[in-house]
Amino acid sequence: MRFLMTTKGTDPNPDAAMMAEMGAFIEEMTRAGVLLATGGLEPGGVRMVSSAGEITVTDGPFTEAKEAIVSFALIEARSREEAVELARRFWRIVGDGEGTVQRVFGPEDAPGPGPR
Amino acid sequence: MTSLDAHAVVDAVWKMESARIVAGLVRMVGDVGLAEELAQDAVLAALEQWPEAGVPDNPGAWLMTIAKRRAVDHLRREERRDRGQERLAHDLVTSVDDGARDVDDVLGALDGEVGDDVLRLMFVSCHPVLSTEARVALTLRLIGGLRTDEIARAFLVSESAVAQRIVRAKRALADAHVPFEVPSGPERAARLSSVLEVIYLVFNEGYSATAGDDLMRPSLCLEALRLGRVLAELTPDEAEVHGLVALMELQQSRSAARTGPSGEPVPLHEQSRGRWDPLLIRRGFAALLRAREAGAPLGPYVLQAAIAACHARAATPEETDWPQIAALYEALVRVLPTPVVQLNRAVALAMAYGPRAGLTLVETLTGEPALKGYHLLPAVRGDLLARLGRHGEARAEFDRAASLTRNAAERAVLLRRAATCAEEAGRANTAKAVKAVNAGRTGQAGPAETVNAAKAGKSGDTAEAGEGGPAETAGQPPRAAGRADSAKRVTPAATPGGRTGGRRAADAGVTLGAAMRLFLARPGLSADTVRSYNQTLSRLCRHLGEDIPLRDMTSHLAAEVFAAAWGTAAGATWNRHRAALRSFASWAAEHGWAAASLAAPLDRRPEPRARTRPIDRSLLRGLWERPETPLRERTLWLLLYESAAPAEWALSLDVEDLDLPGMRGEVRTRGHWLRWQSGTAALLPLLVGDRRRGPLFLADRRPGPGRMPAVADLCPHTGRGRLSYERAEYLFKRATRDLDPEGGGYTLHRLRHSRLAHLGEDGWSAPMLMSLSGHASARSLHGFVRVPRPADTVA
Repeated sequence: MRFLMTTKGTDPNPDAAMMAEMGAFIEEMTRAGVLLATGGLEPGGVRMVSSAGEITVTDGPFTEAKEAIVSFALIEARSREEAVELARRFWRIVGDGEGTVQRVFGPEDAPGPGPR
Repeated sequence: MTSLDAHAVVDAVWKMESARIVAGLVRMVGDVGLAEELAQDAVLAALEQWPEAGVPDNPGAWLMTIAKRRAVDHLRREERRDRGQERLAHDLVTSVDDGARDVDDVLGALDGEVGDDVLRLMFVSCHPVLSTEARVALTLRLIGGLRTDEIARAFLVSESAVAQRIVRAKRALADAHVPFEVPSGPERAARLSSVLEVIYLVFNEGYSATAGDDLMRPSLCLEALRLGRVLAELTPDEAEVHGLVALMELQQSRSAARTGPSGEPVPLHEQSRGRWDPLLIRRGFAALLRAREAGAPLGPYVLQAAIAACHARAATPEETDWPQIAALYEALVRVLPTPVVQLNRAVALAMAYGPRAGLTLVETLTGEPALKGYHLLPAVRGDLLARLGRHGEARAEFDRAASLTRNAAERAVLLRRAATCAEEAGRANTAKAVKAVNAGRTGQAGPAETVNAAKAGKSGDTAEAGEGGPAETAGQPPRAAGRADSAKRVTPAATPGGRTGGRRAADAGVTLGAAMRLFLARPGLSADTVRSYNQTLSRLCRHLGEDIPLRDMTSHLAAEVFAAAWGTAAGATWNRHRAALRSFASWAAEHGWAAASLAAPLDRRPEPRARTRPIDRSLLRGLWERPETPLRERTLWLLLYESAAPAEWALSLDVEDLDLPGMRGEVRTRGHWLRWQSGTAALLPLLVGDRRRGPLFLADRRPGPGRMPAVADLCPHTGRGRLSYERAEYLFKRATRDLDPEGGGYTLHRLRHSRLAHLGEDGWSAPMLMSLSGHASARSLHGFVRVPRPADTVA
C-alpha cells in the first residue's frame, strides 16, 4: 500500500551533515523500491477555488508558513506500521518538525470485487 | 507515543529487518535453523516488552541487538559445554570471553558485512538441495519475514504444511552442511538462477491471485518485487537480476488494468492503458537500463523484460512494435528454447507479419511432445487458420483445443469459435477476407465475457503467458488455465496480412501477392529478414498489383518499380532491395513460377562508407583523460557519450533540471530524461558549483549588447549566455582534429552515435537504445543494434 508523508513548516537551515544523511537515506529507500517519489514544495503556490461553476485563481501564500506543507514523499509499504517506522527514521534524521502520514488509496480499495 | 498496536509494530519492524537479523545470526552461529530460533526469541522479547515499555526509539536496532546478544549467550554456553568443538564463530566467542572487546564492539564489527550476509542467506535459502516449494517457503520466511500463517494463506495450503516444509528445509540444509557463502565460479550462475526462479515463482503466485482471494496472495507480487530489489542492490553487476526486477515492475504496472469490474481478467490488448502505473513503468525501464549497463549477454529475464517494455511503450495496442517483439522472441528462443516460447513467438510473428508467418512456425510445433495436450497450440493454430480463411481446418483445431482445456469458460469460448468457423466454411463464395475479420472479432469478445463465470483461479493477464511467462522460465509446463486469451491475442485485425491472406492464387497462375506470402512464410527466416523482404515485395505489389500473375511480371516491370521507388536512394538501400528481389526470384524459379533472371537488369550500386562510423573507444578514453581539456568541455562530451542524447538536448539543460543523485536531467521541451553515468556524475557538481539556476553549459564570455539572448538562456549568476551548438561543435572538432584520420575533427553527432554503436556492440537492443537516447524511431537505430540481419541483404 502507498502512503503519502508530508512535512509542515519552514525549513530551518539544514546543515551539511544532515543533508548528507538524508541524501543517503533517500537513496537507500529509492533503491529498495520503498520511496516512489519525493520533493520539496514552493511556499504558497496558487489557490484554486471552484464554486457554483466559477473558478477563482489566486496567488499564495495563504496559510501561516508553519502550517504549509513543504515537502512530501510517496512510499510503498506493507503496512501502516511499516510506513510509520519509515517516517520515524526520516524524523530521526530531520530533528524537530511536524508532518503526517496518510494512506493513498489505490485500485485495491475500490468498492465491490474490484481488481483482484 | 504512537497509538498503533504494539504487536503490529513488532511485526512491521520484523518484516523490515528479518533478513539482516537472521543473516547476521547465521554468520555467528552457522546454522539457519538455530539463527531463526534466536531471532524469534528477540521477537518474543519485543512482544513482551514493547506493549509495557513502549516501542523503542530505534526498534530495528533494538531487535538486532537483542538477537545478537542471544546468539552470543548461546555460543558461550556451547563453548563451555564443548570446548573442543570448532564452530564458525569460535574466534568471536573467545574474543568476547577474553574480555578483549565489548560485545557491542564485536557486533558493530559484524554490521559492516550485513549486506553480504543477506546475499549469502538468499543463496542458502534457494539452495538446490531443497525442493522448489521449500525454497519458496524458506525465502519468504527468512528474507521476507513472513509468518508461517501468512505463507500458508498466500499459497492456499495449510499452516501446518508450511511449518513442516520449513522445518524440513532447515534440517536438509544442516544435513547437507551447506556453507554460508555466496558461490563463485560456474556454480554462481546456476545458483543465482535458482534464486531468480524462486523470486519469480513468488511473483507469479501473487500475479495469479483473483478477486475474493486472501489479500496475502496479491501482496506476494510486492514481496517478490521487494526481494528482487534487495537482490539487485546486492548484485549490481548481474544483468539478469535487473532484468527480473524490470520484468516484475512492468508486469506489476498493469495490475490495476488487468482485471475488469467483476474481477474477470482483461487481456493485454483490451486493457485501459491509462490505468497502467507510470511510476512502476518508469522503474521497470530504469531497471532494464541497469541490466544493459551490467552488459552481460542477454538472458531470459532481460529479454522478457524487453518484451514487456515494448508493450509498456505502446500507447495503444495498434502502436505495439510487433516486429521488435518478434525479434526479441527470436533472441529468447535461443536462450530459452522451449516450445511454449516458440508458440509465443509464432503469435508475435503473426501480429507482425500476418497469420501465415505465424502459422509456418506453429506447424513445426505440432509434433512437440511437450505441447501434446496443450490446448493453446490448436487454439493458436485455429485462430491463424481462421484468419487465413481456412475455416474448415480452423474449426477442427478449435474443437480439439476445446476438448483439451479443463477450464469451462475457455472451452465455451473455443467451441463458439469452432461454431463460427463452421458457419464461415458453409458460406462459400462470399468475400472471405471480410469474414475472417468478423470471425476474429467474435472471438475477441469471448473470453472476457465468459471467464468471469469460471472459477478462473489462475486466469491472469495472459499477455504475460503469451510473452513467455513464469512457468517457462521455471522450466515447468504452463498452467492450463490462465492462458485463455493467448489465442485471442492473434485475433485483432491489425495486420494487413490478415485481410489479404485469405485470397488464393488464381488458377491462371500464382500471383505476386500469393507468392510473396508463401515466400515470407518459409521456415527459418528471421523476423528481420521477413521485415526487410516484406518492404521490397510489398512495394512491388503496390505498384504492380498483387493479383498480377508471376509469369507476367517481367524483369523490365521490376526494374521500373525499382527505379521509381529507390532510384535516388542510397546505394545500400538499393542493394538491399535488389538482394531481396534476387532471393525471391530464385525461390520462385525453383517452383517454376517465374524466371530467375527477374532481377538481372538491376545492377549492384556502390555503397559509400557509413556516414557516422563510430569513434574508437580507446580514442575516446584518451580524450576524457586529456589534462588540458577544460571542465566544461570534458563534462559536455562525457555527458553526450554516456547519455547518447542529442547535443542540443544536453545544451538546453538548465541547472535546475538536474537530478544529480538520480544521475539524470530533464529535457523539459522534450519531456525526456537524459541519463548519465559515473563519469559525468563526478564532474557535474564541479561544473555547477554554486549556481542554482540558468543554463548548465555557459559560453566563455558575456554576450555583447547587440546580441542579447533570451532571459532563459542567460545565467543569472554570471550573466553569461548558453553555450551554442555551433561553438560546442567547433570546440569538439578542434579537440579531435588530431584523432580523426580525415583530419577535420569529429562532430558531436558522431560522438553520440559512437556511444550507440558501442552499446549496440555490447548487445543492447533497439528499445533500450531508444529509451536511453531519445531516438523516436527504431529504424534510425538500426545500424547500432545487433539484431540478426539477413546475410544476403547486407552483402
